[in-house]
Amino acid sequence: MRVNTVLGPISPEELGFVAVHEHIGYGMPGSELDTRWWKTPEERYAETVPKLRAFHEHGGGTFVDVTGICNGRDVDYYKSLSAKTGVHIVACTGFVGGDTALQHFARASVDYLTRQFVHEITVGIGGTGARAGVIKVGVSRGGRLTELDKRIYRAAARAALTTGVPILTHLAIDAENAIAIFHEEGLPLDRVLFGHADDGVNAEQTRDTWIAEQGGRVGFDTFGYETELEDPPFWARPRKERLDHFLRFTAVHLDKALASADANCSPLGWPGVKGHTVNYLFEVLLPDLRDAGWDEAAITTLFVRNPADFLTIQS
Amino acid sequence: MKGSAMTATSPTVNTVLGPVPADDLGVVAVHEALLSVVPGAEHAYDLSLDRAEVFAILTRKLAAFRNQGGRTIVDSTGMFHGRDVRLYEALSRSTGVHIVASTGMGPEETLGGYFLTPQTNPPTPWPAQKFADLFTKEVTEGMVVPRVERRGPAGLVTTAADHAGPTATEESLFRGAARTALATGVPMSLRYGADAVRDLRIALDEGLPAARVVVGGLDRRDAVAAGAPLAIARAGAYVALDHVGSEDDAHVSDRERAALVVDLAEAGHVDRILLSCNAIGVAVGLPDHDLPYGYVASTFVPLATSLGLSDEDARRVLVDNPRNLLTVRSTS
Repeated sequence: MRVNTVLGPISPEELGFVAVHEHIGYGMPGSELDTRWWKTPEERYAETVPKLRAFHEHGGGTFVDVTGICNGRDVDYYKSLSAKTGVHIVACTGFVGGDTALQHFARASVDYLTRQFVHEITVGIGGTGARAGVIKVGVSRGGRLTELDKRIYRAAARAALTTGVPILTHLAIDAENAIAIFHEEGLPLDRVLFGHADDGVNAEQTRDTWIAEQGGRVGFDTFGYETELEDPPFWARPRKERLDHFLRFTAVHLDKALASADANCSPLGWPGVKGHTVNYLFEVLLPDLRDAGWDEAAITTLFVRNPADFLTIQS
Repeated sequence: MKGSAMTATSPTVNTVLGPVPADDLGVVAVHEALLSVVPGAEHAYDLSLDRAEVFAILTRKLAAFRNQGGRTIVDSTGMFHGRDVRLYEALSRSTGVHIVASTGMGPEETLGGYFLTPQTNPPTPWPAQKFADLFTKEVTEGMVVPRVERRGPAGLVTTAADHAGPTATEESLFRGAARTALATGVPMSLRYGADAVRDLRIALDEGLPAARVVVGGLDRRDAVAAGAPLAIARAGAYVALDHVGSEDDAHVSDRERAALVVDLAEAGHVDRILLSCNAIGVAVGLPDHDLPYGYVASTFVPLATSLGLSDEDARRVLVDNPRNLLTVRSTS
């Protein structure tokens, strides 16, 4: 029983409270060429370490970073952050979406992409020695799986079957086509977390209950991107609307639910969203859930048991 | 620094070690690649890059180029295809060969999602002016080592279209690059899509003089069949026959290429001709194109002279034309 973290495999018992869909820093490929986003390493650590330390002090155990290949994923940096803050960090292989896969991968076959993912899960990511603990896939801008997205989904399914690590999706729209691929590849749907079912742009078009009925896990993982923020992003949503949506879903499918904030500790290629951090989970969501009548057992199911089931590498 | 002897009015060329007097360039290989990495290949599980080995290979190739009379090489791969400015600085110091590095990007397939599907709603691709601003700063403030620092100034702004293009974004790249050339005085390299004359017109539409543009790929079979080399020369832009040493489905043979050079010279356009190989020093994630950088001077030019190109004209093509192209124009 193990989960790959950037500092090596750990027992699922050690994961503790898990933020399952987060970013140390995310940038679209090519943003590294634009100096408007550059910050010194001093600034990066200064923005990031206090957030991870607060997460740890709140009782956070594990931070799953789903910054895909080509999006500024920086595993050596994550290793140092994990070692210095005590937060377990799980890194991913895969791509946030086909539109974040650079030419080398955009041209690649399903077989090649599968080998890339399996290598990063079983051998390591680049020269870091760290193994990926999850696979990221996603829907490109436009709302439908593109041909490249589908190649990535299929390769991810094969890599998940080969290695036993789970898949997280960016967006849960067009789930019928995604599920068709997972069925064709023979991947059980409880190995897939269909993410961003709660975001302001896509919630209306996401068949969250249907996905859960098929056996998939559903991510309410953009908590905190609220229209009440000073400068909300276009995917923001009114706080109460999201919470009500979540409470309706979990009243029936708590065993299929996972929650996270999708925040950036220090964004790499965009301004980020002022006032939004992973610690929203502790500072706002947990009080909201308790106010809604949730007991500690339900909270443990959502943030400890469900993620441990999901992240544990299947043999 | 070589620049210390210059006066404010000396014509100069931007190299990775700073501006150098234009008359120092000598024989120039104008459309080549030093390190060429397909975007994303740096993350590939099955590819690796040993910097010491890359340095050794490139040193050997540049030394051979120098021994064949070469003095300056232009890495025309742009800012996102493996360009490694610090490596090029060390190579230039080590070999004594001037290295001109380029800013710019293209074709669209090589661009990152930051430019094509930005985090805005809707995800509108970058317009020309944003590309212009990005490329211009690489000349005026220095070329980027991503997320680390800026180094020396780019000496060329390079763009390319898909062979069926340009796409809408590739047209934005052309326009952005033309604006950078206008604003900074460095030349623009345009590797055309389907129609060289039409694509040149896009750059000229931005107000850039044709003499500040080199059109690449004019030894493609489709270009030669369409008479594009002569048309581009007549328009006043530089004609790059830049696949010297290649003969394949897409490109004419060296013999046809040499005949084309003689024809252009006889038509009075010798001052528009540029020759290069598009050789790749070290390729990562794409096929090798392992021609010596000195191939043009050592092998091709003798063929062209055997067909009637004069020695004086050969010298213009190898030395004077690239110098005139690369000399940074005053923008004041």
